[in-house]
This record gives sequence, C-alpha cells and structure tokens, in this order.
Amino acid sequence: MPPKGSSSQRKLRQPAVRKVSTSSTEPANKKQKLRPLSALISPVVFDPVNQSSQSPSQGTQSKGKGKEVQRDVLLQNGTEDQMWIDLHEPLTEENLAVHRRKVQDVRQWFLEAFDGGPSGKLRKYRRILVLAGPAGTAKTATVRMLSRELGLEILEWRNGSDERHHRDDIYDSYDHDEHFTYEGLSERFQAFLTRATNCHSVVGLRSNNVKSSSASSSGQGVKRQIVLLEDLPNILHARTQQTFHEALVASVNSNFLSTSPIVIIISDAGLRGETDPDDMSYGSSWKGKGRETLDVRTALPRSLIGSPYVTQIEFNPIAPTLMKRALQQIIDSEFSSSAKSRSRPSASAPSKEVLNFIIESSNGDIRSAIMALQFASTSVGISLGPDSQPSGKGKSKSRKSAPTRALMEVVTRREQSLALFHLIGKLLYNKRKGDPSAPSAPAKDIQRDREIDTRLKDLPKLPSHLSIHDREPSRVDVEVCHAEFTLSTEYLPSIFQTLYADSPIDSGLLSLYIHQNYTQFCDDLDQCEGVMDWLSWVDCSGGESWYQANPYRFHLISLGTLHSLPTPVTRRNQKNFKPEFFDVLKRTRDCDDGVRDVHQWLRRDEYGNAGGWTQTKVVLELGAVLKAREQRSNIPSDQPFAPPSSRLFTRMPFTKESHYHLEVVKDDNTGVDMAWLEDNDDDRTTRDGGEATPLTGGWLEDDDIEEC
Amino acid sequence: MSLWVDLYRPKTLDDLHYHEGLSNRLRSLAASGDFPHMLFYGPSGAGKKTRIACTLRELFGKGVEKLKIDQRVFMTPSRRKLDVNIVQSNFHIEITPSEVGIYDRVVIQEILKEIAQTQQVDISAKQRFKVVIINEADSLSRDAQAALRRTMEKYMSNMRIILCANSTSKLIAPIKSRCLLVRVAAPSEDEIVKVLQYVASKQPFRSIDQNVAREIAEDSNGNLRKAVLVFEALKMQTPDLSGPLTIAKPDWETYCQKVADMIIQEQSPQRVMEVRSKLYELLVHCIPPNVILKTIADHVVDKVDESLKADIIHWAAIYEVRLRNGNKKIFHLEAWVVKVMTLYKHFFFGIDMDGFD
Repeated sequence: MPPKGSSSQRKLRQPAVRKVSTSSTEPANKKQKLRPLSALISPVVFDPVNQSSQSPSQGTQSKGKGKEVQRDVLLQNGTEDQMWIDLHEPLTEENLAVHRRKVQDVRQWFLEAFDGGPSGKLRKYRRILVLAGPAGTAKTATVRMLSRELGLEILEWRNGSDERHHRDDIYDSYDHDEHFTYEGLSERFQAFLTRATNCHSVVGLRSNNVKSSSASSSGQGVKRQIVLLEDLPNILHARTQQTFHEALVASVNSNFLSTSPIVIIISDAGLRGETDPDDMSYGSSWKGKGRETLDVRTALPRSLIGSPYVTQIEFNPIAPTLMKRALQQIIDSEFSSSAKSRSRPSASAPSKEVLNFIIESSNGDIRSAIMALQFASTSVGISLGPDSQPSGKGKSKSRKSAPTRALMEVVTRREQSLALFHLIGKLLYNKRKGDPSAPSAPAKDIQRDREIDTRLKDLPKLPSHLSIHDREPSRVDVEVCHAEFTLSTEYLPSIFQTLYADSPIDSGLLSLYIHQNYTQFCDDLDQCEGVMDWLSWVDCSGGESWYQANPYRFHLISLGTLHSLPTPVTRRNQKNFKPEFFDVLKRTRDCDDGVRDVHQWLRRDEYGNAGGWTQTKVVLELGAVLKAREQRSNIPSDQPFAPPSSRLFTRMPFTKESHYHLEVVKDDNTGVDMAWLEDNDDDRTTRDGGEATPLTGGWLEDDDIEEC
Repeated sequence: MSLWVDLYRPKTLDDLHYHEGLSNRLRSLAASGDFPHMLFYGPSGAGKKTRIACTLRELFGKGVEKLKIDQRVFMTPSRRKLDVNIVQSNFHIEITPSEVGIYDRVVIQEILKEIAQTQQVDISAKQRFKVVIINEADSLSRDAQAALRRTMEKYMSNMRIILCANSTSKLIAPIKSRCLLVRVAAPSEDEIVKVLQYVASKQPFRSIDQNVAREIAEDSNGNLRKAVLVFEALKMQTPDLSGPLTIAKPDWETYCQKVADMIIQEQSPQRVMEVRSKLYELLVHCIPPNVILKTIADHVVDKVDESLKADIIHWAAIYEVRLRNGNKKIFHLEAWVVKVMTLYKHFFFGIDMDGFD
C-alpha cells in the first residue's frame, strides 16, 4: 500500500508498522478496538484525541467510516487482510463500474492534453479537468485506472492531517530537520502546484514526498504526469480560496508545453436536509457571498469556469446493473479457491438477496456498497438475537430475511427515507377512524386498521357552529404515545409510534415535502386553502432568531395538514415527489450571479455609479434594454454589450411544461431515483473553446478563435 | 457605452428638469450650513437618487463625483464573513442594505461608527461632516433601524445621513422624526416628454417624435428611468422610431400577467400545481417575491368582479406581511394564489360568504 501525503513524511522517519504496534499495546487504545459486529451490540465511545493521534497509520483509500474498521482489521489479521475497496481497486476498464462513454470522455481529455487531439492544437485548452459527482461514483478510480493505462504519473495533493499546528511549529521543525518538508498548510498549496506542474525533474527526484503512483517511467526525458487535486485545501475560507484560485489561474496562464494538466475531483456533498436559515430566508438577495458548500463554483475562480481551459465532466451515481457486475466480480475473486489461502474461517459468500439489498441501499455509491459487501460477508452466519433487532421501519418483504435486512439497515444506515416515505404518506393519506381500507390492502393491514379503530375513543361532537371542523379521530398520532400500545409493538405497527419522535426530518423539510405533494390529495380548493394557509402561517410564525422559533412547528404543520385534508382521501394512485425547492434555490443562485455581473458592469464607469443602480432595479427594469442591446449586437458593432450572463434573468419564456424533473420518493429505495439507465449518462458538460467562442465573443481573448 | 439613463443624468441642481421648487429648497439647504438628516421618498424612477447626488454636489463641489468602489469585509456575530461592495468618495459613502440581507445591522453600525469617529481632515473641504447615503431604506430590518436612531443623534457633528426610500411606511417613527422628509413625486407626462426630448437632442438623431414620446411617457407610469430605458430599447429595435411601436415589457411582467390569467381561468388543485411552477420560475429569475405578488394581484384585480377586489387586495396585504416575516417565499405566494382561487370560485358559485373574514 503506497503511503500518501503527510503520512508519508512520518513514515520516512518512523515506519508505519512500528507505529501501529506501539499504539496497539497501549491500554487506552485497546478499548477502541472495534469489531464490526460487537459494535452493534455495545457501541464504543470514541476518544477524539486518541483517535487523531493515531492518524498516521491510516491507509490509502480509507475515508469516513472506513477508517476505524480498517485499523481493526490491520491489527487483527495483519496487512494482508485489507479493505476490499483497496484490495479490489479496478485496474482495467472492465473492472471499472463506470459507463464506457464516461471513461472514454476522460480518456479523450487525457489524450488531448498530452497529444493535442487530432489537430494537435487542443493541448493548449486541456489545462484543468473537473470531475464532479456524488461520493463513491468512481471518479478517482477512473483517473487512476486511466493513468495506469496511459502511463501517466499522478502527483497528488493531500492536506496534512495536523493542520492545527501553528505555522511556526512547522517552520521550526523545518529548520531543524531537512528531511521534513511538510507542506500541509493551505498557504503552501501554491508552491506545490507551481513545483508539481513545472519542475518535472525536481518532482521526479522528490517522488518520496509527493505521492507518485505510476509504474515506472523514470528513464524518460519528459514525463507524462498529471496533478490530481482531490483533497482540496479549505476553500471555504475566503483567503485560502483566494490563494487557491490564484494558483490555478497562474498554472493555466503558464506555458502549456511545460506544465502538467490538473485534474480536480469534487464530490458533491449534496444538499443537506436543512439548509442554512440564511440561505433559505434571504434566498433572493443574499446568497452567493457566503457560499458554504463545496462545489465547482467555489473550487474554481469565476474567470476560469466559463473559460475554454476548463473541462467539466459530471459523474452520475453508479447504475445498479454496473454495480451488480462489479460486486459480483469482487465476490467471485474473494471466494474463489485462490482466496481460501487467506484465513477466513467463518465467511461464506453473501446471498443474492443480500447483494441486491446492498445495491439497492447504496444509492449508487460504490464505495459504500463494497464496504457493506465486505461487512455482509463477514457477518453472515451470526444471527442477532430478537431483542437486539431494531424495530424495522420498513415492512420487510419476507420474514425470513428480516434479520439480515435489519442488520444491513443498521450497517448502511440508509433507512432514513423509508421512514420519510411513510411519514409523508401517513400525513397525506390522513386516515381516520372508520375509513374504508384501500381495496388492494392486504388482509393484515385491514385487520391492523380495525385494531387501531377499536382503541380510538370517539371524540365529543362539536357545537353546531363549529361543525365544519368536526372530524373523526385520526389514526395518526402526532405526539402522544399511548403506553399500552407501545408495550405490544409485537405486531402493532409503527403507526402508533409518534410521528414527531420518529421523524427523520425537521419541520422545515416536512413543510417542503407537504407543500410539494398536498395538491394531489385535495379534492377541492377549500382543502388546498387550508393546507396552504397552515404552511404559510407556520412558516412566518416565530421570531427572527433561532431561539424565537416556534417550537410547535412540526405539530402545527402535521395537525393542520391532517385537519385540512379531505377524509377519506380519494385514492388516485398519488406519487409523492421530492421538493423542487432546492433545485429552485440552486437556479436562483445562478441567476443571481448574472444579476451581480450586470450590476458590476453598470457600475464600471462613473456614470453608472452615480445612477445608484441596485440589484433589484437591475432585475426589474433593465430586461428590455439588455435584450434589445443583445439583439443589435448580433450585427457587428464596436459597442461592448452587457455580460452574457444577463440572459439568465432577462429571458423568461412562458412555457406550458414544468421546468423541473420531479423525483419520486420511493418506498423501496433510499430516496434517490434509481431510474437512470445505463445509456443515460452522456450529459457531459464540456466547455470547449471552439463551441463557446462565437457566443461569448466579447469575453474571450482574440487568439482563442482561430486556433480551434 | 453607458446606458442613456446614466449618461444623461443631471449632475447639478440646475440641470434638473422638473420639481424646480424642490431644487431651490435643496440649494438653500445646502448653502445654509445647517444641513439636516434627510429622507427622500417617492415612487421608483422619480429622481430621488439624482436629487441626492445633485445635493451632494452642491454641498461638496466636484469632489463627490470621484467615486471608488471598495470591497470591505465585515464580521457577523456568528463569525461569518461578509464581503460588501461600498461606493464612496472623500465626502460620502453609499450603502445598499438589501445586498447584505439579515446582516444589515452589522454593516450599518460598523460603517456609521467608522465615519463618525473620523473627522474630516481635508482643510479645504466645504463641510465638516461626511454624508452616509442609505439606499432602499425601506428594506432595512427593524434591528438596523433601531440601531440607526441613536447614532443619528449621537454623531450629528461628524455625519449626516440621507435615506432613500419608496415609502415611509416601513420606517419606524423615531427615524422619520429625526429626518427632514423630502417627497420626490413622480414626474408628470409632460415632464417626461420634455426629458425624452432632451435626451434625444443629445443623440445624433437630434429629435424624437412628439407622439412617440407621449406614448412612452404614458406607458412608463411616471417612472422616468423606465421611460428613458424604453426609449433606448425602442431606438435599438426600430432605429427610425416610425410605424406602430410596441413597447417591450420586461419578460417577467408579461409572465406575471399570464400567471394572473391562469388563476382566473381555472380553479383546481391541478391548476395550483401549474401556477406554482410558474411562481418558482419567477423566483428563479430573481424577481423579488413582493413584486411578484403585487404585479399578479394588480392583474387579477383588473379582471374580477368589483365585489371581489377588496378581498383580493386584503389577502395580498396579509400574505405580503407573511412574506416579510417568513422563510419560504413560495408558501406565501402560493397561499395567496389558493386564497384568490377559492374566493373567485365561491363567488362564481354564489356561495354565501358571510362570516368569512
């Protein structure tokens, strides 16, 4: 296992093996020993201090939850028992679970970066490749596989794990010890990039310091190497981001023949369930300046994002078929006869069912799938007692597989949107006492509903002037948990567990889900009005700060919704969708960038300044003129026209169809729509100089056009 | 090339085309040496900012026109960093609080404190104080307004504040009472025509047809900025300004109109969904939600029966307040839409609406 980054520095002076052995003799660390199974029964409390002091012993691909498990494995069985994600790293394209076309895109880029494509001129523009996509979509693996295939050397930047050291400490040790060329501080990133991209020979000599994974190409005069930036410096910090951007721009501007292309890998963190309240509330006026998420726009300077020097390739979550093939390969090689030599007494290959479940629950994240697979293959055969079996929130399809399923649910911790699905369903279907069951409902459910009904007390009738508010008692219990029912959870379903206590989401997100879906469940407008008025009222109740927030939001929303919806809800095969809200927020952000561009463009000279344009005025009043200007500037003229980004907000065609792709919240998977097909992932967003130039002519340099 | 609005903006009080009485008053105020805090208010495009700039010019001379844009970093209480662009000259500084969202209080306090604590060092400066201009003062949060009122008294020796707002109704009384209120009314149509002709006279084509100018003025609804912008756009579309002219509305306005039509056409849960996606689209294009609400409400009111108009506006007002207090704008917009739909539908079916608030 090749060491990387900062840990390699340590290892030069102090071999990793020894480090591990010393730490395992310390009694304090003994406690931390983590067997994947026993952890389920009695969770171990981690001591963050001890944990971080051990960090040099971490291995290559260990990320997130992988770390702890891996160390344990190392301690137990020696080095040959590695994590499967390391052991089965794809070496060839056949093993890579990425769609062929996507791999070809990346390969094409590499070839163009070194040979310049068919015309030989593209080389100049293949400076930065951005690979974006959710975690575990084999972005890094693709780069590594291709570098192996094409004989490229990878220079990788790794953040130091001990960034909390003061800079002085490091300088001191730097002075005292010449071998210690630690470069973990984000300020030094720039130096790394210059050196890595320009100084081939120097880097070649120092390949101990910077991780190199090429086979061996030391003999060649000019090495084909790429700079891989995966572990980015903390670019959410404004100053670090600035230096990072400067470094990138500098490397783009430098001579392309002597510098190596840069590959940046960005894992989309995705949207958190609860967005920052600031982002939410001041969505239209205030986002963008305090961006808190790591995405392409924060990672790259704005001048580069639209430029021809940057190519962006989006990776999609791994398709189930591809993943299944990959996992099957791993299973085959792991449980083939040759693997028997590894001591694996209790393990047997996981069943097909387990495999399917892993794929289903992995959300297209192959890393987590392999982790789960390894775990599953070690844990099969040990059955958990019924008492430790968590009360599964999903109705398991077959009783037999329930323990495995529950176990896997705990491991993958992906049960969340199962509960979400049921939560939304419970609220929107608004079942009340005496409602007829759905015609397709199995007998067991009908039986269960009756059971619940018998326990529901009839409510006293309301006086006549309030009779419009009369409702049957609801089968949904928002808050109070009836003690006698919880005792017999044996077969009484979770419907009597409190919604509030079990809700995986908070009131803000709940309101968005209800808002997205309530209309399908309403029969007429009065019901819509009721739901909407509740949502609106709850949203504006409470004060501005968090401590003034209304603590009953969740209850008000759920009870208000239950009260307003028709009883019984007409069944018309409704599907629950995920809120469009976040998509809207994202697009608003893009548009706002455009507004800001135009605003700055207006203020670029003294006249504009005096005009006192504000961004609202720009949006509301400038549209027609900008459009007229743009139309005219199609005819060649010497006038500079407004920034092209103005189109983002000036163009608003009124169309019939919706602009959003709606995602269904599903019962059987974990929220992400798995409907993408294998051949569906060719949405490569390339920004080539050749295509983009005519449109954005005013903003590119002159020499960009004729070369492509 | 700058926009005509910016290019032909009057620079001094003498250049102003209308509201002569106001110009005279401002001139004598600037000369008096006892310059108060001021609050300019009036509809959008009436010339508030222009008058402020002219007054500054009168106060300090040509120096105020030398502007620079600074990027300043402010720290919020939650240790979050804010980058704010600030326009300033040696004599004044300009802030637009809506650009910093909820943190306007922090920014305003910092800036005011800084200005207040530094004396004017330029001996040749005409006035001993600096001026702070706060644009869109009606979007100041309550906090920020409260923070202002003490500072306004305390630092009177070093600093004057000029607020600029569309309406005084969103400002708290203590601020209003500390300012000299100056109302800048929208120009009349004749005045707009005069200005358009002035702008035309500065251009190579020299003049604008009286009827065209009148048409633009009528369409602009008293918003001079809009009139000049429309004029420029028209000139670009049809350079000779002849034939039937269609005054191009911004896309969002047409869009709002169509949304209003959708609301009137059909009232059903499905239609609510369709309207919602349109509302989202408007929000995506950075149109402020209160503007969306107002524009759609205006169009709806135009089309419904007399007896419904009051109710629709009543609910628009209620949901506008909720918009300001709430987080998720779409909820309130949609809630209003649903409300209007119900009102309309019930009216249509002649259901007794007594007891309906």
